[in-house]
Amino acid sequence: MQNPYVPYPVEVIKIVTEVDTKDIKTFRLAFVNKEDEERFKYLPGQFAELSLFGKGESPIGIASSPTNPGYIEFTVQKAGVVTTALHEMEEGTMMGVRGPLGNSWPIEYLEGKNIVVVGGGFAFTTLRAMIQYMLNDGNRKRFGKITTIYGARTPGLLIYKDELEAWSKRDDMELHVTVDKGDETWKGREGFVPTICKEVAPSAEDAVTVICGPPIMIRFTLPVFFDLGFSKENIYTSLEMRMKCGIGKCGRCNVGSKYVCKDGPVFSLAELDRLTPEY
Amino acid sequence: MEKRLVKKDELLRIVKKVGAEFNVFAPVRVEDNVLFKSLAPGEEPLLTFANTKNAPKGVFFPRTEVMIRYVRTPKGTVLKGVELEARDAVLFGVRPCDARSFVLLDLLFDQDKYKDPYYVAKREKATVVTLACTPVPYTACFCTSVGGGPVDGTGSDVLVTDIGDAYLVEFLTPKGERLVKYFGEAKATAEAENKKETAAKEAIEQIKSVIPAREVKPILDVSFDHPFWDTIHKRCLACGTCTYLCPTCHCFDISDEMKYDDGRRLRNWDSCMFPLFTKETSGHNPRPTQKERWRQRVMHKFKYYVDNFNAVACVGCGRCVMYCPVNIDIRKIVEDISKLQQ
Repeated sequence: MQNPYVPYPVEVIKIVTEVDTKDIKTFRLAFVNKEDEERFKYLPGQFAELSLFGKGESPIGIASSPTNPGYIEFTVQKAGVVTTALHEMEEGTMMGVRGPLGNSWPIEYLEGKNIVVVGGGFAFTTLRAMIQYMLNDGNRKRFGKITTIYGARTPGLLIYKDELEAWSKRDDMELHVTVDKGDETWKGREGFVPTICKEVAPSAEDAVTVICGPPIMIRFTLPVFFDLGFSKENIYTSLEMRMKCGIGKCGRCNVGSKYVCKDGPVFSLAELDRLTPEY
Repeated sequence: MEKRLVKKDELLRIVKKVGAEFNVFAPVRVEDNVLFKSLAPGEEPLLTFANTKNAPKGVFFPRTEVMIRYVRTPKGTVLKGVELEARDAVLFGVRPCDARSFVLLDLLFDQDKYKDPYYVAKREKATVVTLACTPVPYTACFCTSVGGGPVDGTGSDVLVTDIGDAYLVEFLTPKGERLVKYFGEAKATAEAENKKETAAKEAIEQIKSVIPAREVKPILDVSFDHPFWDTIHKRCLACGTCTYLCPTCHCFDISDEMKYDDGRRLRNWDSCMFPLFTKETSGHNPRPTQKERWRQRVMHKFKYYVDNFNAVACVGCGRCVMYCPVNIDIRKIVEDISKLQQ
């Protein structure tokens, strides 16, 4: 019997400090055992439990795409016991990963459609995984037009800056990066994500939106997409809840009869409407 | 199906013989409580008792258990071993309601995807010998409302029924039949079986608590925002007694502890009644008050479990009714829900 509670051993091979406040870092992890990497078959949108023996576990969305084999990445904000310990770690340290857990962005459903990616703050991690997945040479033609709208409060709080730069030069995706308030060096857009969505006004035809961000951003962005003609079946988001087991047993992350860890974290708005509003 | 008749004074000796070969868990008097626990050498199980204060689920899903051991090294803290021990065990003197709880817990812990190896390993190694409730122990018993019964064999491998002058022993599963040899040669007579049927009928009649446990499901489906939820939680102390004594509650926490370079990852029972249960690092709590926590407890048992497994997650043992320090009565809550105006 496979033991889903035992993490795979991994080594931290690269740490990138993403933001000028230094409290968001991306950890690149490599599996110690080749066969574990093969078992860890994942899709964008899934998450894993980052496991630090002696500290505990923390459920974090996978920020890398399976199209980039050899490692997995997690972008983590320093907040509690486990994430603080993570932030104190150095490259070369051993730790554990349990997963992949949960469902994923609805890849099959997204195929052949125009994809609008909307992200806010550091909740851009599994969206970045999705973009990497779609931009992969072998995958790009499986998806239609890709429009990405990504915002943060300040330029220094944007994550994946180098990648945003690289994406902005591509002609097979449209990228709109915005900040609530720029600084003297900022040459890009200024404005809140909902406003930019309204300006960009992506067509709802054959289109699906995947959206992640702080609740306040989501609250004001959804009406924009309803106005643009997106149905609730074509807007997907990812939920967060306190989790422990990650496999639907420990009983704390349910929203109605669905467990966010097992049946989610990705839900369409139509699915969320059928659940209780307890998240 | 094998059936045996056992004389009244024989049963204790049989349990002792079984105990020589198996790890036996049974009801034992401990100070003022009757607890379901592992029989220590020389310790005698109770044959006449109402029910144990703690539910026998703890044999498969202990209050606290080590999952993983690890050790600190210069390169980081690494896995040392996985604690997955399970010995052949016999659970003797389980009540039918509690035996039924094992079937309900199997639905969760023994799913096709993601089996819980700690629960499943212990469960597979265990044989459940149930002592039927003739007579019914408590006025708070309501097993017949949730699909069980005082002489029901669901979840049992062996069912022992007191028929007055003897015990009728029925071996319900192949696992149970492995124990036939301990129970002597006296085959059950038709007369004994008739006596059992009569005892069962009488026991069912003794149960006066009847609640609409299945019937409230369609009402709960549409009552998440009903003002009713404002009426039940106010005296709750959030002590968690109801969930810790409940034979079907399965929520747990996972925590780490270290001493010097050695550490272990444990799982401990947790409770939806506790404020911290769902509180996130950010401070956000999707169930911010006892109201939402009570709604979760009731919904989980009478709606969510039905949605997911087509079973009510309550066996009608009455423990939460009897031991709640402020007399919150789940039977009354269910009864009240059945009368809600939509």
